[in-house]
This record gives sequence, structure tokens and C-alpha cells, in this order.
Amino acid sequence: MSRKLVIDPVTRIEGHGKVTVQLDENNRVTDARLHVVEFRGFEEFVHGHPFWEAPMLLQRICGICFVSHHLCGAKALDDIIGAGYASGVEMLPTPEKLRRLGHYGQQLQSHTTAYFYLIVPEMLFGMDAPPEKRNVLGLVEANPELVKRVVALRKWGQEVIKTVFGKRMHGIASVPGGVNKRLDARERDRLLKGEPGLLSVDQVIEHALEGVRLFHNFHEKHRREVDSFAKVPALNMSLVDEQGNVDYYHGRIRIVDGNRDTVAEFDYHDYLEHFAEATEEWSYMKFPYLRSLGREAGALRVGPLGRVNVTRSYGDNAPLAQAELERFHDYTGGKANDMILHTNWARAIEILHSAELIRELLEDPDLLEGPLVIEPGEAAWTGEGVGVVEAPRGTLLHHYRADAQGAITFANLVVATTQNNAVMNRTVRSVAEAYLGGRAEITEGMMNAIEVGIRAYDPCLSCATHAMGQMPLQVTVQDAEGRVLDERLR
Amino acid sequence: MSACAEARAASAPLDLADYDHADCLIYGIGNVGRQDDGLGWAFIDWLEEAGLCPSAARQRHYQLQLEDADLLRHQRKVLFVDATRDPSVTDFRVECPRPAMDFSFTSHALSIPALLATCAQCFGYLPEARLLVLRGYAWELKQGLTPRAQKNLGAAQACLAPRSPHPFESKRSQA
Repeated sequence: MSRKLVIDPVTRIEGHGKVTVQLDENNRVTDARLHVVEFRGFEEFVHGHPFWEAPMLLQRICGICFVSHHLCGAKALDDIIGAGYASGVEMLPTPEKLRRLGHYGQQLQSHTTAYFYLIVPEMLFGMDAPPEKRNVLGLVEANPELVKRVVALRKWGQEVIKTVFGKRMHGIASVPGGVNKRLDARERDRLLKGEPGLLSVDQVIEHALEGVRLFHNFHEKHRREVDSFAKVPALNMSLVDEQGNVDYYHGRIRIVDGNRDTVAEFDYHDYLEHFAEATEEWSYMKFPYLRSLGREAGALRVGPLGRVNVTRSYGDNAPLAQAELERFHDYTGGKANDMILHTNWARAIEILHSAELIRELLEDPDLLEGPLVIEPGEAAWTGEGVGVVEAPRGTLLHHYRADAQGAITFANLVVATTQNNAVMNRTVRSVAEAYLGGRAEITEGMMNAIEVGIRAYDPCLSCATHAMGQMPLQVTVQDAEGRVLDERLR
Repeated sequence: MSACAEARAASAPLDLADYDHADCLIYGIGNVGRQDDGLGWAFIDWLEEAGLCPSAARQRHYQLQLEDADLLRHQRKVLFVDATRDPSVTDFRVECPRPAMDFSFTSHALSIPALLATCAQCFGYLPEARLLVLRGYAWELKQGLTPRAQKNLGAAQACLAPRSPHPFESKRSQA
């Protein structure tokens, strides 16, 4: 007889889901599932709308990574009007650099939220601390000076977004073929040099370095706990440039194995040839995989850990992040790192990398001058476009088709959290096996560990099911007949 | 007692004229893409269309975030305006939120008490805060207030709009 455990809701993860653990008659874990039970069909919602509205509508899926949705959609629109990479057209320098600036600003801001607000409290107070303490408000009480610096860092990221896209949230600066405004010198200088109440980019880099040091301090004290918590092998995926280095805005898709050897590399416009999606009746979230390797061997990991596993280096323009990346790669002897809590290390490195990339862009005169839009003419219209960017949580894809009148007839979104679905389920299973230890009882420690394991991916289940809302945690243990043996809600 | 009478009879009655200063903030919380969740922004829209409180800073946002603590520390008075599902609110209600670490944080949002507590803890300062809650009924992905929510907004406007002679004008002329 097998048995089942259910955890619901998962706190501080966006969306709604629950966890079920299936046990056999000896209370050994036979299966573990992260269910996503909320659904809103944004892809259907945009049918019939003018094609140029897609990035504006679809970015409203999410209040966190809206810039990624906006830019991904913008790249797809570039294709649709014949001004995109699918037509062999290179984006003009000024709009591409402005899009990149906003994109890196959002990565800095989004990672700062996930890392400092959700993960650092866990590192400072311990995974077993009560949830009411183990959060950023606990941090406010314990270390207000750190929180002030974090507030300043997030505020600066928001200012980058607002400066580029015109609004703190859901801006509309990207248009088909480019952007609708460039920066002026005053806007550039306040981000570069700061002003009263706003950090300079050099201060941002200092704060980002402090974030990396926080991880190292925690890691040194808790090395065994961090390194042994949920080791989950999987393929790793990221966009890369011609040198094989991560490119958050544009590039080819590269997938590497545990040795960091490339198992697939292709133009993202051909994604349908390379990816397949499995479905399960118990979840609204699909399970993408690399078609050539099948569902189990072809499961993918995206996001910070996937990207740092894929990238060869950060090049010469981000020396501080490059030094951290080398330390990261050295830690596993050059092999792919599959220690789930090292995702937080990777995230801290990417905050630093984003800050250094932003500094380089802010010093680039192209932000202030140059044409903003490619206008390819009606004859170039293709009616179909695919956009891919590296969103903070991982590889994000938008694919649209429009009819001759410009109305959307098809939209497909593959978001990072969906790409990570299989490895998140494997993580839950790994944690359940470690914590249940032959018992059919959900302990507080297991609840915390499952929450920590899932949160390492910073999943946005709202995005993954194209819904909006919060995700609370329910864990259930069941036997083979579906009888509930134990259940906890948080 | 009606909501309007309560708003006027409260120990610190809400008078919009008190917010017509550069060191005051009126903060609409909500999402106009989700029906009645747009009530907070609609109130700000009304202030702007009616030319009320032109000196105050106005903010529209989906949720409160931690960096709003940095915004608050520069304000003398803050009026938050938000929609509510609370059935005990007939049409609207004015509240005096107090700072409290209520541990409601997600990466999407922070409560008003938690934000005030963060401001006090990090910056050693607390602005005078009021909250105007407006009752809403529908929250689907659709633009536009429901007729009932629109009516509640109208009730708040009728109560809070200055009577003639225009008090802001009279205050300005006195100044």
C-alpha cells in the first residue's frame, strides 16, 4: 500500500500551488508533485487584439518580471513587422542598448527582491526559524541598516526601469522596431552619479558585492547544510552570445549537461523543433523538455543556476562578477553545479553582474543619440514573431501570429517557471526523501525545507499558469489508494 | 451613522484640504485592469480632474513595496486609497492605520501597517497616515468599475469634496 503527503500553501512564492507526496507501504517516497491549481488563459485573452498591444497586455501577467514580458513581446513584434532577427535585421544600437538597460535594471531589482527580501532572512535567521521571523520584516527589526541599503538598491533598480520605460511598472517604451524615447544627459547622470536619495551606480555595485559576501559568510558557517540540501541534476539552459557567454537580452539557446558540455544549441525561432511539452492531469503547469533526449533526460533547469552553469565567462566588462563566477565554477571543479541552494549564490552574482553591465551602458553615448526605430515598410510584414529573453527567473519565450489586418490569431508563452517545472518537482522529491525518513508525518522542518527548496527557483506560478495572485503551501501525504495520511496548511 | 458622518466625526476627521501641500502624499493602490481593484486609482483620477489637492504628490501603484518606506519618510501626511472586499464596509470608510509588523510580506506586496513600521524602524520617522477604503465587488481581468463600486466612489467624493465656497481657494486667498 502506498501513501501520500500534501503541502499547501507554499508561502512567499507567487501564485497558488500545493505539494503531494506519495508513499509506499514502508513509507518510502514513490512520487512527489508540485501541483499548480490556478489558471487564467492570457494566451486566449489576447486573441483578436491588435498585434502591437500584445507586449502591453501580456506584461500584465506579472507585477514582478513585467519588463521581461514586455521586451520578449517587443522582440516578437520586431519579427512580425519584418524588423526583427527572424528577417536578419539587427536592431539599431540605441534602442537595443536602451532595452538592455531596462532589462538589466529589472534583473537587478527582481533579484534584489528575491535574494534580500526572501532568502537573506533565511540565511541570517536559519531555515528552522519561525516563518513570522524568517522574512524581510524580521530583518527590518534585526538589521535596519541592511534593510535601508536594500531599499536603496531596489529603489535604484526601479529608477532605472522608470527612466527607460517611463513608468515604475508596466511601461510602454518598446515599440515594434525599437523604442519611443532615448535618455537625456540628466537622466543618465542621475543614475550614473546618483543624487540625494538615490545611489550612484558605484554604490549599487558596492551593495551588490555586500550581497555576495552575505552568501559566502552563510556558506562558510553552514557548508554541509547548504551543499547537501537537494542536489538535483538536470540540463542547464541559457541564451548565449557568439563566445558562449550568457546574454540576457539576445542570443542562441544553449543547453549543457552535467559536464557543462553542449548537448544542443539552436536559434530560438526553431524552438518548436527542439522542445516538447508534457502535461499532467494534476497540474495546470506544463512540463517542457528537450525533444531529442525525452522527458526524463531532457528536463531543463533555467534561471540563475542554469545560466551560471552554461556561461563560459562574463567577458571583460564585468570584472567583479567575473571573479565571482570563476570562484563559482571552481567550487565544482568546472562541472555543472546542481546544488539547489547555490541558486542563491548564482542570484547574488547576477545582481553584481547586472550592476556592472548597467554601469557600462550608462557610460555609452548611444543611449543619448541615434535613431530609435526601424521602419521596414509594409512589404516586410511577416505576421509571425518569436521573442526570447533571459528573464530573472530564466528563459522566457513569446510567440505570436497576426492576420493581415494585424489582429492576433495565436499566442504562446513559455515562461521560466514552466521550464523549471520538472526540476522543481525533483527538488520537492529530494527534500521529502531527506526529511520524511520513513515516517508518514509532516514536520515543521519538512514544511520549511520544501518551501526553501521551491523558493530557490523564485518561481512565479502566476506567470507559469498565466494567472495573477499569491501562492500560499499545502502538503499532503497519501497512500497508494489516495487516502490522506497527513496534511498541513500554512 | 453614515460613512460620511463617521469620516467627519472621527477624532481626526478627513479633510482633503489638509493634503493640499507639497509635503503630503495621496497614494492610490490597485490595478485598473482588474475591475473594482481600480478604485484607488479612480479616486486619484477624480482629484486630478476636479483640480483638488494640486500641491500634494500623487502616486498610483499596484501594491506597496518596501522602497515606499523611503517615499514615506519625506511626507508629513499620507492618505492611502484602496479598494476593499470587506463586507462590513457599506460604501467607504476612513481608517487610521497604525504601524505593525504583521508579517504579511510577499515579494508582491506589503501591508500599510508593515510599511509604516518599516519606515519607523529604518528611518526613525512616521508620517501621519490615513486610509480611505472603498468597497468593491468584482476583481476579474477587465477594465472599468462595476456600477456598485462606482456608486461607492461617488459617495466618498460627495462626502469629501469641499463645500462652496471652495475651501482650498479660500485658504489660498487667506494665505
